[in-house]
Amino acid sequence: MTTTAKRTPRPYRDSWGKRTMNAFRAHWQIYIIILLPILWYAIFAYRPMIGLTLAFKKYMPRRGVMGSPWIGLTNFENVFIDQDFMRSIWRTLSINLLRLVFVFPVPIILALLLNEMKAKRYKSTLQTIMTFPNFLSWVIVSSILTNVLAMDGLVNSLLRAIGLSEVNFLGSEQLFQPMLYITDIWKSSGWSMIVYLAAISGIDQDQYEAAEIDGANHFQKLVRITFPNLMPTIVVMFILATGNLMSAGFDQIFNLSNSATKNVAEILDMYIYRITFQSAPDYGLSTAISLMRSVVNMVLLLLADRGAKLMGGSGLFA
Amino acid sequence: MTTLSMKKPGTTKLARRKDPLEIIATIVLTLFALMIAVPFYNVVIVSITGQAEYLKAGGLMLFPTKPDFDSYTRLFQNKLLWTGYSSTLQIVALGLPLNVLLTFCMAYGLSRKGWPGRKLVFVLVLITMIFNGGIVPLYLLMKELKLLDNLWSVVFAGGLNTFYMIITKNFIESLPESLIESAHLDGANEWTILFRIVMPLSKPILATIVLFYAVDRWNEWYNSMIFLTTPTKFTLQLVLRNIVINSEMQGAAASSGAVSTAAAFTMGVKMCAVIMTMLPIMCVYPFLQKHFAKGIMVGAIKA
Repeated sequence: MTTTAKRTPRPYRDSWGKRTMNAFRAHWQIYIIILLPILWYAIFAYRPMIGLTLAFKKYMPRRGVMGSPWIGLTNFENVFIDQDFMRSIWRTLSINLLRLVFVFPVPIILALLLNEMKAKRYKSTLQTIMTFPNFLSWVIVSSILTNVLAMDGLVNSLLRAIGLSEVNFLGSEQLFQPMLYITDIWKSSGWSMIVYLAAISGIDQDQYEAAEIDGANHFQKLVRITFPNLMPTIVVMFILATGNLMSAGFDQIFNLSNSATKNVAEILDMYIYRITFQSAPDYGLSTAISLMRSVVNMVLLLLADRGAKLMGGSGLFA
Repeated sequence: MTTLSMKKPGTTKLARRKDPLEIIATIVLTLFALMIAVPFYNVVIVSITGQAEYLKAGGLMLFPTKPDFDSYTRLFQNKLLWTGYSSTLQIVALGLPLNVLLTFCMAYGLSRKGWPGRKLVFVLVLITMIFNGGIVPLYLLMKELKLLDNLWSVVFAGGLNTFYMIITKNFIESLPESLIESAHLDGANEWTILFRIVMPLSKPILATIVLFYAVDRWNEWYNSMIFLTTPTKFTLQLVLRNIVINSEMQGAAASSGAVSTAAAFTMGVKMCAVIMTMLPIMCVYPFLQKHFAKGIMVGAIKA
């Protein structure tokens, strides 16, 4: 037995190194094709990451990033002494957690409602209107809202006309956070709805037909079929939103806040912006904070992903 | 699938009567759409209302008694509006081809299997989505490259969007592999395959990412605010920001009713600037809406 087995020649197999070399040679054109984008990533995505070493340095403009002296964790120590920093962290977390509560469910509801409508033309008109603001920058959106919500604007004129007192929507500390959620819904929930609509259109029709034979009404179908089928999409979107807990909302708050609301508007990114580009910038300090923010975001994302997997979902990196 | 026709979930021949749920949905969504549309209409109205009438009536009017295009003429005299247009158009013209080239080359490369290092490259690319250096290292990099106060800094900083690239890669991977294989057997090289076979087949996704990139470029303001210092180089969004928000800040802070008279620009001029800034997107969007939605669906289903 063994002798016959030995006699059959083993298929010839190159060494690992030789195989890799051959694979390289067979695919050399691909390396040339990806050369430009790889260069871009190297220069504009990875090169700045080397700049993150500034977090452990005292930045001296004359000596550049590489030449600046190392100072260990001093920047981080200084950050935690700053009361404004700690406050901005909590503010960021509370604003973005409440965003998950108030803003996150809206597109899901919109998608479920739009799915119930049957008039095709009207439906697509509504969809066009609702998705449009997403494609405007926060600069434009906040300009539009400034007009509508100004003291002389549409909303306040309306309030006056029906005998109510006017409200300083954009200059009030109490109203600032609610305004963030409302304007966020106004701008982006229509577009976020599209992802859920796509998921709904992928649901197997047989389930609806079976339910109809069993005598289910629209509402029962919505609750028992459409919604459970949306769950995986909802989980993925939720994970992505969690990964943004520390960084969401800069564009919005930067453009919507003003000197009257600056005390309640300073989220982490606004704080970074302030210490970086205003009043005696300390690049080492702000890089240290950016670094911490990136790390926290990554941890949050991985935690949410793990959580989704524990709950039986597929997670992001399935 | 029993039905081949494109039918909406929840609709079958059995359900013909109007359902209460449908009525509620129609009402709620109509109100929501109005909530979005009315501010746009109001912007247009305010832009063609004379300052005197605006101060008297406030924003509450269906149509001005006497349309007045004075705000437009005053805005058009502002040189910065035109330099803003010029900067933004330059950034779009330089940036879009770069975006498409980089995105397609990377997406095609990653969609081809079997080359050593593919996994590593993919992971390195994904890392940039959640981890980045932040604005300071990028600013210092631009300083090193001597690109500060140069439009190229903005063009390069937004050279590639990893999310769009992955959508593109997923689309290319969904193309029938046999096409690429047979082209290989016929002796076509990778460039021929990419530009002659993959690109023409990828028109739907190409349309989508061109639109996404174009909108992103048009809306560019943060990088230009950081990198550019000469006012005549400012992008349109930045010019708008300076016209509307910066002068509004003092107004809102004063928290009294006397906003519009004190500010440097009247509300009418500001709203003209808003319209001039969003006009291109507004004109194009209703017709191209489908492509926007398609792209995100391809990405969402495959990702």
